[in-house]
Amino acid sequence: MFRSGFRAMTPLWLGVVPFGVAYAVLARDAGLSLVETQALSVLVFAGSAQVSAVGLFGRGAGGLEIVFTTLLLNVRHVLYGLSLGRRVPLTPRQRTAAAYFLTDEAYGVSVARGARTFAFVLGAELSLFLTWNLATFAGALLGGVIPDPERLGVDFVFPLAFLALLVPLLRRRVDVLVAVAAGALAWLLARSLPGGLPILIAGVAGSLLGALLTSGERE
Amino acid sequence: MSFWLTCGGMLAVTFGSRLAGLTLHRDLPAFWLRFLHFVPIAVFAALVTPSLGGSRGEGAIRVAAAALGGVAAWRTKRLEVAIAAGMTAFWLLRLA
Repeated sequence: MFRSGFRAMTPLWLGVVPFGVAYAVLARDAGLSLVETQALSVLVFAGSAQVSAVGLFGRGAGGLEIVFTTLLLNVRHVLYGLSLGRRVPLTPRQRTAAAYFLTDEAYGVSVARGARTFAFVLGAELSLFLTWNLATFAGALLGGVIPDPERLGVDFVFPLAFLALLVPLLRRRVDVLVAVAAGALAWLLARSLPGGLPILIAGVAGSLLGALLTSGERE
Repeated sequence: MSFWLTCGGMLAVTFGSRLAGLTLHRDLPAFWLRFLHFVPIAVFAALVTPSLGGSRGEGAIRVAAAALGGVAAWRTKRLEVAIAAGMTAFWLLRLA
């Protein structure tokens, strides 16, 4: 189970490696040391929040501002936890580990593959954690010799992956309606709000819409 | 605030968010059970659209490649096939 979770994530490595390298290059440019660059990947382990944080560090922003931005970007994980916790039975210790390594991608693959065990979830989570940290280390050492992910176009792996996870979930008309509404709302909000917030707001609004539209049904 | 204090704060808010949902009580009323059914659908859609266009003015190419990746996902239900199809289409369209 652990191994199948670990392996289920390998298609995402194509996007994770260049993103991790790019983060590390940005962090070093912003003046973080090798240890500090790696520490954020080990301790915080949240790609978009880390990139935003090193951007803020580079501009000399205050610590509170950086922590608050991180909270805004990451509070969407509450939703993932709620959703995953209903699918996978966890002991308190397993819950702590599952929470520490939780990411959009590991949540997505676990749900899409119908994971029911802690081992699968942890395998998927650690697959990303190891790749992300190795890529951080490589990027921090190699520095600016690597082209940025958008130039290579590998950042496109992430929307593609979530689209591929979404499509098989669209079984009924209301599922499609919720997906279209949430997608449109997130797209609109992303023009003015930082990364994680549109996902949280559109995720909650879309799920509320779905729950309201199906109010006549039984679970 | 020093780097390490900031890093500790980032760890606290991130881990806190990740643990909160997993820890919350799970005997939920029917409405919230239906809500949770739609969470992956709404969240995945919200993770797709904001980064679909990219920031290099190649939005049309990316949308076309994503459509192909979506069809591949629908036909095969396999993540790696959908990513391979979408990325290949994207890189080829970029060259064209």
